[in-house]
Amino acid sequence: MVREQGSFKLDNPWSRIAWGSIAAIFIVSFLIGFVVLGRFQQNGPTLGAWAAFCRAVGLTADRGPAGEPQPPRRTPTRIAWTEDTLRRIASGREQQGAFVALNCTACHGERGVSSSTLIPTLAGMNSAVIYKQLDDYRSGKRPWGVMSAVATALSDQDSADVASYFAHRPGGLSPLAGEGAPEAGRSLRQSDPGIRLVFAGDPGRGIPPCAGCHGPVAQKLGAPALRGQHVEYIERQLAAFAQGTRQNDINEQMRVIAQQLTTSEVHAVAVYYSPGTATNQAKLASSQEGLVGSVSQR
Amino acid sequence: MNRSSRLAIFHYWVAFATFLVAVLLGAWQMLMRSPLPAPLDDSAAYYASVTLHGTAMAYVVTTFFTMGFGYAVAATSLGRPIRGMTAAWIGYAICLVGTLMAVAAILSGRASVLYTFYPPLMASGWYYGGAFLLIAGSMIWVVLMILNLTDWKRDNPGRPVPLPMFALTATAMLWAWAASGVLLELGGILLPRAFGWSDLIDAALGRTLFSVTLHAIVYFWLMPAYIAFYTLVPQAAGGRLYSDTMGRLTFIMFLVFSLPVGMHHLFMDPEHGSGFKFLQSSLTFLVALPTLLTVFSICASLEIAGRVRGGRGLFGWIRALPWEEPMVLAVGLSLVMLGLGGFGGLINMSYAMNSMIHNTSWVTAHFHLIFGGAVVIMYFAIAYDMWPRITGRPLVSKRSARLQLWLWFWGMLITTVPWHIAGLMGQPRRVATFDYTDPLIAPMAPLVIISVIGGLILLSSAILLIVILVRSHFGERTAGEPMRYALAVNPPVRVPAALNGFGLWNSIVLVLMILAYGYPIGQFFFLKPHSVPAVGMIRPMSAEGRP
Repeated sequence: MVREQGSFKLDNPWSRIAWGSIAAIFIVSFLIGFVVLGRFQQNGPTLGAWAAFCRAVGLTADRGPAGEPQPPRRTPTRIAWTEDTLRRIASGREQQGAFVALNCTACHGERGVSSSTLIPTLAGMNSAVIYKQLDDYRSGKRPWGVMSAVATALSDQDSADVASYFAHRPGGLSPLAGEGAPEAGRSLRQSDPGIRLVFAGDPGRGIPPCAGCHGPVAQKLGAPALRGQHVEYIERQLAAFAQGTRQNDINEQMRVIAQQLTTSEVHAVAVYYSPGTATNQAKLASSQEGLVGSVSQR
Repeated sequence: MNRSSRLAIFHYWVAFATFLVAVLLGAWQMLMRSPLPAPLDDSAAYYASVTLHGTAMAYVVTTFFTMGFGYAVAATSLGRPIRGMTAAWIGYAICLVGTLMAVAAILSGRASVLYTFYPPLMASGWYYGGAFLLIAGSMIWVVLMILNLTDWKRDNPGRPVPLPMFALTATAMLWAWAASGVLLELGGILLPRAFGWSDLIDAALGRTLFSVTLHAIVYFWLMPAYIAFYTLVPQAAGGRLYSDTMGRLTFIMFLVFSLPVGMHHLFMDPEHGSGFKFLQSSLTFLVALPTLLTVFSICASLEIAGRVRGGRGLFGWIRALPWEEPMVLAVGLSLVMLGLGGFGGLINMSYAMNSMIHNTSWVTAHFHLIFGGAVVIMYFAIAYDMWPRITGRPLVSKRSARLQLWLWFWGMLITTVPWHIAGLMGQPRRVATFDYTDPLIAPMAPLVIISVIGGLILLSSAILLIVILVRSHFGERTAGEPMRYALAVNPPVRVPAALNGFGLWNSIVLVLMILAYGYPIGQFFFLKPHSVPAVGMIRPMSAEGRP
């Protein structure tokens, strides 16, 4: 390696040519990229050299504060998934949560498994979801009489505690994601609309698969696990999103999806996620439809 | 079988066994996303399968193949056993353990991240841990290659390093530079999040670090093919290498120009300014230089061989070439695919034109044609060439080998040409389900079906490859010929120090990397630190009730 020392010195022709050509290539590319191209905009005036340079390095030359939008911005929720929010949720204490949960068990069931079909099961629900919904009730972003009152009585720490408590109760929702062997029929070719929508969505209408956020394929932050939730509760929430009476989905994704689903599709999806197997539920549903049919005939 | 050969064949077998499984998955994926019925049609399984296929092909097959190739070439071109045999086996074991960890994570459904390490999409820690071990294990190989080169140079002062070993060391250094990005991303960003030590990740920083690895990793895959072009092909064709110096320059240029260019994978990303994107785009164009140089030298070398064999006239030498040799046939087919894919690549690397084909099937088609076609077909030819020399048993049938190469060539063209067209029509890549009843998507259906046929041809070719290799491995032992590398028309007697080592070139790479990536990476630490919650196949940390 000793002989190679010479190759670093600029009097070595190889070194001179290599460094020289690299420098030339770099300078030309730099001038075009940072001085020339950055100045021109498709639909705006040509920028000055400094503004062009800022744009080329990915900064804005305009450092002034942004004006308040008029009319004031309406946000779907106060919660943003910042580091601070996640830290507050993670600070929830399960033990303390058990006391806070005494406010909840009358409706949501003693261990978070609700027996009423219109009240959601909370056991196993992700703590970030519970925390966000409590804040939305408190701020009026999700208006619902009883829950608004209950949530207003809770502090921020209470919310984190009770969220942690219910997240750890077994026997309710199954939050597990991405498990199990592949199953045939979880694609657009599936004729059952419930399974099709849950696993493949409907690309034609821009509806993503439910399972990508709500399980069982994947679990996304802020999206509740649904397997084990009540049919009627899911149906009612989808209807609320569709009608705009519920608007606390951060990116409007649930409103966009729910507005496009037909009543029978909503039912099929809800049945897929409901307790017990989908087949049993389908039987149950058809027997109920028969019941409703016979009642109305009478 | 000597010790170096045993080391090489163990690497090769992992590579080719993985390859067969990955091709099978690829064929199923093509069926799954087509309008035809597919067994086990589960969209989630599709994404897991893409992850497995991509991880196997991009990281496992290539790394094991190149390591095995490296050990074989180092031992034979320097004419002495590899130094550091124990370390080499330890590296092999680490890479194998890493592979098994990653595969287990993908099969359990907790790592469907499509094999590119782009946060905030997150996989299980087992996947990232496995990938880390695989890549870190291959660094032992890098060190061994450099060590063997410096040892040889010390023992042979003033003598030019044989071209195969020179090129191999360039490959090892290129890989070390390239892997630095993904190793930093894995160790600094992905693994801490996957283990739950942090809630958020700096997705922009992670993507930028990964872009350091992409594109250079592609040249790491490519290098064995190029080494074969320069050192095995002229020999197999019965001629000589046109120029030894051109070979050295080519590998030096790959080392220098394949690294500060990865941001052309981030043209559509918002975290970088237009200036750095343009800068790296123009540097990317320089990678075409060594490729053009290679096409020229290889055609010149083949012409020498053709004329030696009695070829006359402007094109008569082409017919005179020994096309019955798998190596010669492979280089012909490879150059055709390299040419077609290369022109597609020019569009990908252009800052303005890239937006037309961004994230479409065009991109998938491009890298299948270049890597799956031009490069992998040379892997086959290298295997056919080396198998008899390593195992001491002749290749069972050159005819089957030729058939296998032709099948791969046509399979790849039938697969990728329709993909290119579908990509131009706007078909996104990495999507499991298409609603072919949609009037916008319906015209893509025939193209997708044609590409499925190509996929089945590729599968049959891969099976034939394994049959040939297995039968050759267990064939009758004969006196094996030693590895021979092509002599240059003017064999090097003395070469300038700059073409016999890498000191100058590594310092140029360092300066270029600082200029091209210093600010784009540094900005996340000083100007815009920016973190987002990770999403993906792992439960958010708060669900685990961590303090």
